[in-house]
Amino acid sequence: MKIWSTEHVFSYPWETVIKAAMRKYPNPMNPSVVGVDVLDRNLDPEGRLHSHRLLSTEWGLPGIVRAIMGTSHTRTYVKEHSIVDPEEKTMELCSTNITLTNLVSVDERLVYRPHPDNPDVTVLTQEAIITVKGVSLSSYLEGMMALRMSANARKGWDAIEWIIQNSERENVPLCDLY
Amino acid sequence: MLFGQSDHMNSVGEGCTDLKREYDQCFNRWFAEKFLKGDRSGDPCTEMFKKYQHCVQKAIKEKDIPIDGVEFMGPNKDKP
Repeated sequence: MKIWSTEHVFSYPWETVIKAAMRKYPNPMNPSVVGVDVLDRNLDPEGRLHSHRLLSTEWGLPGIVRAIMGTSHTRTYVKEHSIVDPEEKTMELCSTNITLTNLVSVDERLVYRPHPDNPDVTVLTQEAIITVKGVSLSSYLEGMMALRMSANARKGWDAIEWIIQNSERENVPLCDLY
Repeated sequence: MLFGQSDHMNSVGEGCTDLKREYDQCFNRWFAEKFLKGDRSGDPCTEMFKKYQHCVQKAIKEKDIPIDGVEFMGPNKDKP
């Protein structure tokens, strides 16, 4: 059941965007991501690069929330599988939370590919399925989730742009003195 | 703190951060300069990755991170 999806265009070619996506963390828009590890990486027979990563996030939950949740663990973990196809020019990422799974599941899928009408820019399609365990998702809750996903998605796009711009600056001289 | 370079991100296992950053630098270079340019010549980061992995797997066990199990929406595996 797909409940949220969006599309965004980056004004950079695909290679630039995915190099940034690979180096997305740390960035100032996602300060709650505190740990990223690669668990496995391999090339498949078609020459596509698979990466399995573990991300840890620290939400800084206030003490009262922690007391209610009955846990001193404020870290949540997400596992992510990405596939980069350098021939087809697609990068696909799928992620899901592996903690708090008794409460909620957030499955997200992102695909970066060149824009079909303009190969110099990149389209990101992003979709998410959120399942609150044991509770049927009312349209109100769905609406709230969608708002949250949109806000987070915007942060994600800003993060990629930020990474691109801060990498570009290293290569472009500010002044042409000749 | 510098942003935009994954050699400044921490590992999930505190003691593994240096190994992670070393591996990330190697990988990012290979990814940008070889892989994306169609160069399939060997992966120069294998040894570094092994050391880094050894550390991370230990940290995962110590922290009891539930990395195994949990089915999730994956990419279409039915590609020809």
